[in-house]
Amino acid sequence: MASPELGNAGDSSTHNLSSGMEDGSVPATNKTCPVHVSAEEEAKRSFRKGIARHDYVKISVPESKVNHLPTEWWKTVIAFFYAAFNLVLTTVVLTVVHERVPPKESSPPLPDKFFDYIDRVKWAFTVTEINGMVLVAIWLIQLFFFKYKSIACRRFFFLIGTLYLYRCVTMYVTTLPVPGMHMNCAPKLQGDTQAKFQRVLQLISGAGLSITNSHLLCGDFLYSGHTVMLTLTYLFIKEYSPKSFWWYHLMCWLLSAVGVLCILVAHEHYTVDVVVAYFITSRLFWWYHTMANLQTLKCSPNNYLTNTWWNPLFNFFERNVQTSVPCSYSWPITWASTCLKNPCKKYSMVQSS
Amino acid sequence: MKKVEAWSAEDVSDWLNKEGMPEYIKVLHQTDGPALLSLTKADFTVPPLSRMSPDGGEQLLERIEILQMETHIEDHKNGHANGHIGGIPNGTSKLQRNGTLGRKDFETKIRIPIPTVEPPRSSFPTEWGKTGIAFIYAIICFVTTTVVISVVHERVPPKEHTPPLPDKFFDLFDRREWAFSICEINGMLLVGLWLIQWILLKHRSIIGRRFFFIVGTLYLYRCITMYITTLPVPGMHFKCSPKLLGNWEAQMRRIMKMIAGGGLSITGSHSMCGDYLYSGHTVMLTLTFLFIKEYSPRRFWYYHWFCLALSAFGIFCILLAHDHYTVDVVVAYFITTRLFWWYHTMANQQSLKETSQSNLLSRVWWYRLFQYFEENVNGTVPRNYQLPLSARAFHWNHAVKYSRLDIQ
Repeated sequence: MASPELGNAGDSSTHNLSSGMEDGSVPATNKTCPVHVSAEEEAKRSFRKGIARHDYVKISVPESKVNHLPTEWWKTVIAFFYAAFNLVLTTVVLTVVHERVPPKESSPPLPDKFFDYIDRVKWAFTVTEINGMVLVAIWLIQLFFFKYKSIACRRFFFLIGTLYLYRCVTMYVTTLPVPGMHMNCAPKLQGDTQAKFQRVLQLISGAGLSITNSHLLCGDFLYSGHTVMLTLTYLFIKEYSPKSFWWYHLMCWLLSAVGVLCILVAHEHYTVDVVVAYFITSRLFWWYHTMANLQTLKCSPNNYLTNTWWNPLFNFFERNVQTSVPCSYSWPITWASTCLKNPCKKYSMVQSS
Repeated sequence: MKKVEAWSAEDVSDWLNKEGMPEYIKVLHQTDGPALLSLTKADFTVPPLSRMSPDGGEQLLERIEILQMETHIEDHKNGHANGHIGGIPNGTSKLQRNGTLGRKDFETKIRIPIPTVEPPRSSFPTEWGKTGIAFIYAIICFVTTTVVISVVHERVPPKEHTPPLPDKFFDLFDRREWAFSICEINGMLLVGLWLIQWILLKHRSIIGRRFFFIVGTLYLYRCITMYITTLPVPGMHFKCSPKLLGNWEAQMRRIMKMIAGGGLSITGSHSMCGDYLYSGHTVMLTLTFLFIKEYSPRRFWYYHWFCLALSAFGIFCILLAHDHYTVDVVVAYFITTRLFWWYHTMANQQSLKETSQSNLLSRVWWYRLFQYFEENVNGTVPRNYQLPLSARAFHWNHAVKYSRLDIQ
């Protein structure tokens, strides 16, 4: 299959090359290569008419004027609005679904394998939420020092938005009953739109966390939003940090894994909610990043990764990003820029394709 | 092009023009081919040539050498398969060309042995062994699924105790009794069509391997989601067979019955409840359609639309029969399509068959299995057809006739 990787190189250098090597101009015999040609000589062909007969062809490779990683903050803003819209939509859908959750007396919790083995621990959900907040904070700090913040931010917003959108769909179509008798669901407000609206605002302002007392609505079980945040922040932290920081990755992985486990220990979600959330988050993350990193996929005809519905959005966001984002860090204030010496892809020449 | 030795003075002038050295034409207008070839550096030290040539005739002499070599190559083009040093001008040629090379040195031939080329291996080796392994994998997954369904059946809460969950589709559409039979008929039709198509494919071992692997993995995932959380029955119309608490023999028989019937209601083997998340019927309908579309010629659009209609209507009927929750169907569709596209994209791109920093698709747990199955397959499997067990390959080349246009 054709993979025109050459097409991705700076076009100007290839142009010079082709114009220089035409006509079988003989390279120097015992002169060393590389041969050089300068554009003006070639164009005028005057060197044959009396200018010095030294045959050398100058190939100038100009500095690539194309920025392979343009910042394009406006795209990041669009991605932010996309994510914000989806978050608000999720809150609205949650309010709607809350009305339909069957009362726990009439519809008892479903049988769940994890719940059979492990009894509920009360404080576990707080652990989850603290872990989640710590991971988000770490990611924000990492992003702050990241050189290509706009691109990483854009990707984060897009993925979060899409994951929450999927969540809206699965929450809405079928309503699972509460996973445990301990759950306190706020009373139903049949038809009282004003109060519903207030609920939506309360949920948004508290970010849906129990700690902030905004997690009062029930029905958002399939799939788990907490798992999505924990998994996604960990994936982003790992992807955009130096490969050598294994202790850092391990710590974040532990935070994430313990957080997810505590969701189950607290009997706040069914096991299937967590498993499906992990699956969808990780697959979407890997799918998106593979498409963004491998430029050959963009030109390839048999690339089924483009069959998703969000492919046009992806093209819009990543059209001008021409290489994988290197992980380089710098102080955001430019005059005091010091870059960390550790490249993320330490063995990039050997490893990356 | 005729040999330089046979050139006339006119030919020499034409050649000088062509080489961009028109200034020599006047001086050499009497020179014909052999005279041109006999020019030496010494000739450029005396007038009239010394006047015309600031570099001592170096460039011209070089050009003459190249000309000699070119004609020399042409003479020997149909000769020895082993090359002799061709006069291809390049800077790294080891031939000393500092202007003093005479014709004598040029005559020495250097033998470069070229190893005989091996016959190229097929890009699409059949490797039925690997297909066999994939088949066994799929069988294991099917059997595991049946066992898990049997286990889960024991845990389904009775419908009186746990009513069906609220579902948006059920609110909008009432149940139709005949719908599930339609779904199963559609499913059987699609599987039948796919089987016929598969038999007619040339590279059936590779494609069969892919089908078994993907189906096996999907059913494996299904085992997990079914097992961990048990959804209640979606409708009061369900007749679940009674629970056999601890009676292993009866459970084994039930499992056998289900495998024998393919898990379909039509064959009476779908009497167990609890296998709702996610829907196996949706998986089969979607997957057979994806495979049919992928491995049939692009111009059969009517065939593709027919299969799409069968598939879509079948899925709709699952919901219409209130046999699965909507979320079961949605999740099944999502997982099936993503796995299919993921696998096929990886199989079609050589760059994705190696782990690397930018290839995040390789982080799935089944990547090693995938590499094992697809390591010898180079490139996209073409849609060639061949009657099975026939001595001659019956290429319906129309299938790939427009491949270059289709792809781009």
